[in-house]
Amino acid sequence: MNTYYAANLLIYAGVDIIACLALNLQFGVSGITNFSFIVFQAVGAYTAAVLSMPPDTAAGYDFQVYFGGYQLPFPIPWIGGAVAGGLLSIPVGFFVLRKLRSDYQAIALLVTSIIANTVITNARSFLNGAAGLALVPQPLQDRIDPSTDTYQYLYVGLTALGVALAWFVSARIVNSPFGRTLRAMRDHELAATALGKNPVRLKMTIFIVGGMIAGLSGAILVGFIQVWAPSVWLYPETIILFAAVIVGGRGNNIGAILGALLVPVGFEEVTRLMERLNIGPPGFIPAFEWVAIGLLIMGFLWFRPDGVRPEPRHVFEGSPFPEEVESVRAG
Amino acid sequence: MLVARDIHRHFEGMRAVDGVSIDVPKGQITGLIGPNGAGKSTFMAVLAGTLPATSGSISFEGTDITHLPTYTRARRGVVRTFQLPSEFARLTVLENLLVAAPDNRGDSLWGALRGKSYWKADEDRLVAQARALLRRFGMTAKESDYAGTMSGGQKRLIEIMRALMLRPRCLLLDEPMSGVHPKIVDEIKQYLQSLRAEGLTILMVEHELHMVEQLCDSVVVMAQGKVIGSGTMASLRRQQEIVDAYLVG
Amino acid sequence: MSLFEAAFGFGLVSMSVIALAAVGFTMQFGITNIINLAYGQVMITSAYVAYYLNRAGVSIWIGMIAGAIFGALFSFLLNRIVYAPFQRKGTTLLGMVIVSLAVSLMIANLLLPIVGYYSTSYHQDPGGLIRLGGIALTSNQIVIIVIAVAVMLAIHGLLTYTRLGKAMRATAANPSLARNCGIPTQRVVDAVWLITGALCGLAGVVAALNADSFAIASGAGFLITALAAAVLGGAGQPYGAMIGAVIIGMVTELSAAQWSPEYKDVVAFGILVAVMVLRPQGLLARRGALAAAG
Repeated sequence: MNTYYAANLLIYAGVDIIACLALNLQFGVSGITNFSFIVFQAVGAYTAAVLSMPPDTAAGYDFQVYFGGYQLPFPIPWIGGAVAGGLLSIPVGFFVLRKLRSDYQAIALLVTSIIANTVITNARSFLNGAAGLALVPQPLQDRIDPSTDTYQYLYVGLTALGVALAWFVSARIVNSPFGRTLRAMRDHELAATALGKNPVRLKMTIFIVGGMIAGLSGAILVGFIQVWAPSVWLYPETIILFAAVIVGGRGNNIGAILGALLVPVGFEEVTRLMERLNIGPPGFIPAFEWVAIGLLIMGFLWFRPDGVRPEPRHVFEGSPFPEEVESVRAG
Repeated sequence: MLVARDIHRHFEGMRAVDGVSIDVPKGQITGLIGPNGAGKSTFMAVLAGTLPATSGSISFEGTDITHLPTYTRARRGVVRTFQLPSEFARLTVLENLLVAAPDNRGDSLWGALRGKSYWKADEDRLVAQARALLRRFGMTAKESDYAGTMSGGQKRLIEIMRALMLRPRCLLLDEPMSGVHPKIVDEIKQYLQSLRAEGLTILMVEHELHMVEQLCDSVVVMAQGKVIGSGTMASLRRQQEIVDAYLVG
Repeated sequence: MSLFEAAFGFGLVSMSVIALAAVGFTMQFGITNIINLAYGQVMITSAYVAYYLNRAGVSIWIGMIAGAIFGALFSFLLNRIVYAPFQRKGTTLLGMVIVSLAVSLMIANLLLPIVGYYSTSYHQDPGGLIRLGGIALTSNQIVIIVIAVAVMLAIHGLLTYTRLGKAMRATAANPSLARNCGIPTQRVVDAVWLITGALCGLAGVVAALNADSFAIASGAGFLITALAAAVLGGAGQPYGAMIGAVIIGMVTELSAAQWSPEYKDVVAFGILVAVMVLRPQGLLARRGALAAAG
């Protein structure tokens, strides 16, 4: 196994983990079905790209048309990506996080994601349209030569930092009274309101936090693969992440990580394996992958909707019968 | 204490509440009775803020609260329970109570990010408070069970305890005994009486008339969206129209 | 003929195509409470069925009938095998959306190895140009409009005068009450999926015929346009869907003439999101669209 392959695997895994942690905060813990999730990862990637690239008039870059190009050094593009994800959450949240039937809300967000993709594809001078951005500079490439193994280790380390940050924020939120309030709001919003909780403020807060983490994941990914086009962030990408959170187990961070490893990463690897072993008609392996994901989603929703690792029950110190309380699933 | 003036609630051509005014006196249990479809639950929802009044005004302890959202009214001391079970199913019984507590430093984004050491003291205090309530209502053993697996009567108790964690000044109870085992009904009755003795104001919608007779200091009767009478049960029984309209039994 | 008049003419055709799709979609939702996000894919699959017949030399008008039959059977089976079991299991509204998304992805990707990624079109003589006032349309387009009008009248007749239609309206208004009144809701639901499935299949062939070319990827656009018309008119209301189709058909064509044809879909999508967010009950308000209590 060569270094590049290992790095590729680890970095994609890290990015997927970060994304799943964010989606779990929005969906698993707070009950917001953000079917436009991939747009937030995309805005983080585009922002990081535009902040780190030279202007489109520069030599070697003039085959692309885009705004910005500030050539800012690491870590500003990554921070910018996270901030962009958070900023985008504000108008989207403002319009959609109202008292709307849950399936309507989900569909409105899904369609928003499709609109965003179509608009960016057709607005050629904004972010280079369908072709997307290429030759995105890699963080710290002027310090360490990107073609070396050392750089691969560095990037994996940077990704790991991102994962640690996302984990830190998610763990602190989920295991706190704030997390408990979010879960209560998820379970019965009306009752939570009657107990003095402001649902719009709670949802908006977690939407923005999730958006920032999603933006960070995009920035990390674009710095590695150095390209970003609309075809990378089509609406089905959100569905893969939802599948991951459902399969892994929603409402808890370990479930989210498990889901990230099983679904997006697992499928990437199986696809690679199938291509190498020449199984299945070439070019249509992704199609079978999608069919499998569809079956996986339906299978889990039918047999095990709580996922592989369900939300754990919270038992407090000094509980009367601790030995009777095991990991029993919610009724 | 809680005063509603000329409340109207019209929706899709239906006049669910058609000019209702009541005065809920402090430190008493007031009953709200009437036939099905009289608009009682709708009126409760308007009082709590879950539904907006089409017109009319509500004031609490002298302050106008007509345009305040539900969560603000709850923070000011007007807390409601629901007709249908509304427990947080995937939280434990203890967690259900803890959610209600308003003064937990860990209950905000920044509080959460600052970590357990920041909010542990508040949490411990509230856990003790919640456990005291559980002891009082006899549900200590169920502390770590999922609220969704509780029986109907237990869910009703959880809702009442949850509301009490907020230290309310006025409780709006919507059919607190409905679907509850007769033995627990008696327990709830005693709890409500002891709460009244501690100075809590209660307005409750109730169908069982003998319960209303035992518990309520005074009663308001609604039918077809309007108030058709108020006073003690004894005085109401003397008014023929009310007996005809509703008081069978 | 000015650009505006041409756009108006296209608007008439557009609204006919959209109406066929939207009415079927909205009736599925109104009577079964399922937002069938696989609708667009069923449309496309039916379009391909007609395509293969067309390649074998069959006229597209026969292809439409074949598409309708295919759509009816496919939708009926889809409900029986997937949707109804999940509903019976008590799956939440959101769970049903996820299920229907999964189904739509599966249909698209099962079809992909068979028909390929590239777009195709029907071999059908567009027919001579017919002029009405300032508008010029091909005879095919006129036929499409006539088909749509005929189908709308048939639906109106079904809902107003037949026992099945009245049973459908009762089930849509209050399913448990309908069941208690002795309406065989299971059979009504089966009939709904067959009829709306036929509409779906017919709409798919018509839409494919009207477009310059079509591919599997067109499915999402079909779905969202139908969804937009349905939601605009009031989800679950067939007459609302017709009104929604008129509005969206005309607005998208006029905006395409005014600005750019690439954004035609975006206009429809934008209307959908705006309606869902600002006035979810649509034009012909009905309670089903508003936030469920608790």
